[in-house]
Amino acid sequence: MNSTNRALNRIVVFVIGLVLLLAGGAVAVGALLPDVQQTVSQGASDAKGPTTDALDQQPWILWVVAVACLVLIVLLAWFALRQGHGQTGTLLTVDEGSRGDQTTGGRLVIDAKVAEQVLEEALADTPGIVSVDVTAFRVKRESVLRVTANARRGVSPTDIRRSIDQAVAHWDGLLGTETPVVIQINGGLRSQMSSATRLD
Amino acid sequence: MSTASLYKRIVRRETHSSRAGIAITLAVLLIVVFAWIGTESVLEAVGQAPLLLAPTDLVAATLDAASAPVGALTAVAVVVALIGLVLIVVSLAPGRRGRRGAKADRTVAVVDDRVIARSLARTASYAGDVDPSQVSVSVGKRSALIEVTRTSGRQTDVRSIDEAVRDELDAYDFSPALRHKVKLSEKGTVGA
Repeated sequence: MNSTNRALNRIVVFVIGLVLLLAGGAVAVGALLPDVQQTVSQGASDAKGPTTDALDQQPWILWVVAVACLVLIVLLAWFALRQGHGQTGTLLTVDEGSRGDQTTGGRLVIDAKVAEQVLEEALADTPGIVSVDVTAFRVKRESVLRVTANARRGVSPTDIRRSIDQAVAHWDGLLGTETPVVIQINGGLRSQMSSATRLD
Repeated sequence: MSTASLYKRIVRRETHSSRAGIAITLAVLLIVVFAWIGTESVLEAVGQAPLLLAPTDLVAATLDAASAPVGALTAVAVVVALIGLVLIVVSLAPGRRGRRGAKADRTVAVVDDRVIARSLARTASYAGDVDPSQVSVSVGKRSALIEVTRTSGRQTDVRSIDEAVRDELDAYDFSPALRHKVKLSEKGTVGA
């Protein structure tokens, strides 16, 4: 439901994995071939003097490294913090206009809280449901309601869906229009701790 | 975007992992490493004592590592390569979350496999007239295995369990659909 960029996540994991695999593979192969190992270690010890001298005599290299690290940290922090957003507080906006589905005297904004409270109230007494939570998300420029229901142990998921569909039909009648609704039926910790089905 | 394709997209996203956990973990690890390198660089540039290791020593140590004993170098490299391989597999695997999507209508539903398993277990225990604790159900990607432990000294009607479970599965419109198998255990429980 959220706006996490999943392709980006997979690309980042893939690229880091590829770098580690190639680096590890190259070093392992290089170390096992005596010729390569000789050449590389010789080259490395030859390069040791000049590189340490360069770092000592030209401190700007260190500043460049520091700035590069800072830029990478900012990019990675942005990447980590942009995960999981997409919830919205506004369910529906109807702009002023002359068409049938528009208001004539002003702008109408319906808060997601309205849908949350109406649906949670309607489903609170359903026997098969231990708890219910309604959240609005913004998916592809559309408001989508997510109804998460924790099922009582042993209840048929089709029964639960039927009850929720009825509540949604009532809500549609109340709202006068339809917004997409996603029902999530879970059997998490709360339903494990709930008593087994009571006779309904 | 039409509602049908919107629902399809949402079901796909809700039934598969976003890989956010591993991506954030890697990002945090890299941030720590870069923060350390950056701090050490600034400390050396302004002439302060290093926290752990000055960049000059760090570069020298890395170059020295090339002539480290072959065995140690290979071992470290193989471990690094294996971690890389695991990450590549994780990034390409579908990452199912143990849920399945139902047919979209006015609404669309995503159901946890555990709910399905418990529902089948209840159906089986009613149909076979056995205690719910004698039924265990495991739901895989495309199949559900119902294991019933018989009550010692009593007949257990496997066929009625099988029919009841089939009826329940037929009422489902989940994809991937489930095939089922009822297995009656050889040993019975006493006094249930």
